[in-house]
Amino acid sequence: MLNRNARLTAAAVIAATGIALTGCSGSTGASTGGPVKITFWGWASGYEKSVALWNESHPDIQVKYEAIANGGAGGYDKMLTAAKAGTAPCLAQIGYETFSSFLAAGMLQDISQYVKPRQAEFADWVWGNVGIDGTAYGVPVDTAPMGMFYRSDLFTAAGIAAPKTWEEFKAAAAAVKAADPKARIMNLPTDPYLYAGFAWQGGAPWFGVNGDAWTVSLDSATNSKVAGYWQGLFDQDLVTSYPAFDAALYSAWNSGKVWAEVGPVWSASLIRDNAAGSAGKWAVAAMPRWGTTDSVGNSGGSATAVMKGCANPKEATEFAMWMSTNDKSVSNLIESAAILPASKSGLANAALDTPESYYGGQAIYQLFRTESAKVNPNWRWGPVMSTTASALGDGLGKVPTKSATFQDALNGAQTGTVSALQAQGFSVSK
Amino acid sequence: MTIQRQSRLRELRRAAPFVLPFLLLFVVVYLVPTGYSVVQSFFAVKRSGLGLGGAEAVFAGLGNYVRVFQDGDFIASLGRVSFIGIIQVPVMLGIALILALLIDSSVSTGRKFFRVAYFVPYGLPGVIAALVWSFLYAPTLSPITGFFASIGVDVSFVTDGALPFSIANILTWAWTGYNTILIFAALQAIPEETMEAAALDGCSGWKAALLIKVPLIRPALLLTLVFSIIGTFQLYNEPATMKSVAPNLPSTYTPIMAALRSLSANDFNYAAAQSVVLGALICVLSVLVFRASARSVD
Repeated sequence: MLNRNARLTAAAVIAATGIALTGCSGSTGASTGGPVKITFWGWASGYEKSVALWNESHPDIQVKYEAIANGGAGGYDKMLTAAKAGTAPCLAQIGYETFSSFLAAGMLQDISQYVKPRQAEFADWVWGNVGIDGTAYGVPVDTAPMGMFYRSDLFTAAGIAAPKTWEEFKAAAAAVKAADPKARIMNLPTDPYLYAGFAWQGGAPWFGVNGDAWTVSLDSATNSKVAGYWQGLFDQDLVTSYPAFDAALYSAWNSGKVWAEVGPVWSASLIRDNAAGSAGKWAVAAMPRWGTTDSVGNSGGSATAVMKGCANPKEATEFAMWMSTNDKSVSNLIESAAILPASKSGLANAALDTPESYYGGQAIYQLFRTESAKVNPNWRWGPVMSTTASALGDGLGKVPTKSATFQDALNGAQTGTVSALQAQGFSVSK
Repeated sequence: MTIQRQSRLRELRRAAPFVLPFLLLFVVVYLVPTGYSVVQSFFAVKRSGLGLGGAEAVFAGLGNYVRVFQDGDFIASLGRVSFIGIIQVPVMLGIALILALLIDSSVSTGRKFFRVAYFVPYGLPGVIAALVWSFLYAPTLSPITGFFASIGVDVSFVTDGALPFSIANILTWAWTGYNTILIFAALQAIPEETMEAAALDGCSGWKAALLIKVPLIRPALLLTLVFSIIGTFQLYNEPATMKSVAPNLPSTYTPIMAALRSLSANDFNYAAAQSVVLGALICVLSVLVFRASARSVD
């Protein structure tokens, strides 16, 4: 007969083993006891509320949301470092432009099997941003098709029609300058990601996949065409050249020194919040087209990615899918983060039909809903985007001071990208 | 012998509680990360094809270091900080020395006020100073540019050629006071008898300041010189902040910015090699400065 102490010890050992075993099985995703716990890193406003909504209705899968710094402002660095240290969360907000970089860093988990059944709930091109060749490593949340925001009061007063093609845009640019010598039609897009939207629309991709190697085509002939267009406007003094996202640009929007901005859907809140004085005078039209090609650019949008090492990828995917498609969650995201949903059900959300008083009562998101179906599907981001973007940004930043041209910037980004790829061991196909 | 050893041991044991916390911190927050960086710098990632299978770390020998010295952007960044340093450090220390001598001289009224006034810029966080100066430099917002434009003169502080000087100006503004205080403290330590003796020998005023005071405070001057050189090579806040008003400022403007860019590109090993090279360079420079001055004292 065991004495009391020995029995207690045995019980404790069994209990401890039991805990350890559940702990283990929990990490392989086969746990039966207690709710599954999932950590989620993101920064967009409103995510927290969507997570709270989920947690209320899903007691078995509890998501813990942790707000981190914006991706470009250090959030991605934090994720990369955490992944390297083995402390990465299960889910992470990652912009499409950086998605391939994470993929190539080997930090994401293939969740194709979990998303396949519900793939039809999103437009095809959106999936191209969260995986390669039919695989998926995350669930898209929003997209950012581009449109033309313009001061309808000034255009009407000057008798200039909103341009429908880039040819007409150039003519309109000259007309604006003629109507008011101190005003210009638009500011030069020298931010690398904003500029990417124009290349995207123009069918001038920067990256591709050729078998088992990457192709880099920043210096392709089609890219030169798009770059040449903007260089032309700049050389003829038809655009302003303020730094991107600069207070000087905002004040020019407000005072009528800059009449239009061709930008992604989120420019709507950017203009509204920074040029409050010109409220009610703006309107939105479709992005000007290249000739008769009915295609639109995209600049932004992000996904909920499942990071490698996540113990419960199935449940994580389930939550991510819910966040992007559930009516309540999407309404919340539209309201608090002003996103344009990526899912078809999200695009049908009634919140997108609200008239915007800043834009003279126009229901501007209806336009972007239509345009999102016309986004050029042939675009792929590269695996070293932060290098590509800073190399391109360095070049584009020199255009206003005339120490470089758009073409120089593209050439510099091409060389910088190829050498970064090779230095990091990627195959590059010529 | 044994008695001596024992007493030494006892001394060590007594000193341990005071020394150990420092040693521990020194090892944990300084030696370990430095060592880790050095180890990392000898590795490189190996990928295949599209790289989707993830990366594997392989020993790369001096590969990353070869890359550092072939990296035009990194070499250029070193050139830039050297250029800024060569211009800015002498100007700043010169001004600091003159100010310190002035406060130290017989101008006793307002001595305290000037001491505090000069020190104020150092109290401001570097980023705030850089932000404020950015506004003063921003072509469309700057009141200075605006004033010159109103009298028909076209001035820009953010052209490629003007950038090093604009940055040097912020550095000088922020750090002159700090150096002034260091030099002033050394001046205060000069015994009054020395200056009295000099005065009796007919040496006073500026002559006394240059011939007696300055040589006596050589260690303090040297210290400020080394601090300033290190500071210049670690330049980051000012150019990084100014980038928003000067997009022509490249993202690899200074060595730290270049290393940070490699880090963001997930090129950890290369960023480590860049950091090690920068650290070694600063070390060598500091030693050289100390050596050179020690020799001239002898």
